[in-house]
Amino acid sequence: MIKYALIMLTGTLIASISQIVLKKAAEKEYPSKLAEYLNPMVIGAYGFFFGASLLAILGYRGVPLSLGPILEATGYIWVAVLGKIFLGEKISKRKALGLLVIIAGIVVAALGA
Amino acid sequence: MNNQKETVKWFVVLHAIILIFSINSICSKTAGVALNDKDYVKALLFYGVVICILGFYAIAWQQVLKHLPLITAYANKAVTTLWGLVWGYIVFGEKVTLIKIVGAAIVIFGVYLVVTGDESVQLSEKKSDKEEQAND
Repeated sequence: MIKYALIMLTGTLIASISQIVLKKAAEKEYPSKLAEYLNPMVIGAYGFFFGASLLAILGYRGVPLSLGPILEATGYIWVAVLGKIFLGEKISKRKALGLLVIIAGIVVAALGA
Repeated sequence: MNNQKETVKWFVVLHAIILIFSINSICSKTAGVALNDKDYVKALLFYGVVICILGFYAIAWQQVLKHLPLITAYANKAVTTLWGLVWGYIVFGEKVTLIKIVGAAIVIFGVYLVVTGDESVQLSEKKSDKEEQAND
């Protein structure tokens, strides 16, 4: 179970990285609608995304569906941390507290599994 | 007024996408179970469905990100924890223990703090934008 949970958590980290890259790409101006999607950043981000989805399936070999999305909530922490580093997004005290509460909730739910 | 209507519209779109995304987790779980059963055809089939839904999701999400901040869009995905409990119970007959529900509720409360903690940041950003315009 732990092994499969770790596979799923790795998938969530990779999915979070792709979210940050997509946000960076969405902030740019493009000459056409097609170029909005067919550019190296967006294609690369979705490459990560498909890899992450494969890791989710491998994780689900041992993780129950009722716990999967709760483990994937670690994505909020990754997005906040990566967003601060790469997008200069601020983490307020309230937001930091929320991230800690999310971690607490994941631990509680994992104990109930 | 119009702006508010637009925001509500994109929230409805966001939650429709989130529901579809939660159905995607049923397909992922089905593929995972098929792998355990060594039913590789079924696993591949459901991975295909996962990819198809992600393809739709890709285009829809990119549009939503243009109208809602990433953290807002991402925070609303907390609802998938509830969908996971519902689908796990209905589709796979998993035990939904009280402590699991409590854990999910704590996660959603944490997400609420993250979102409201983020709003103050957005407000200060808007303020500084206005100040920049005023300086122009």
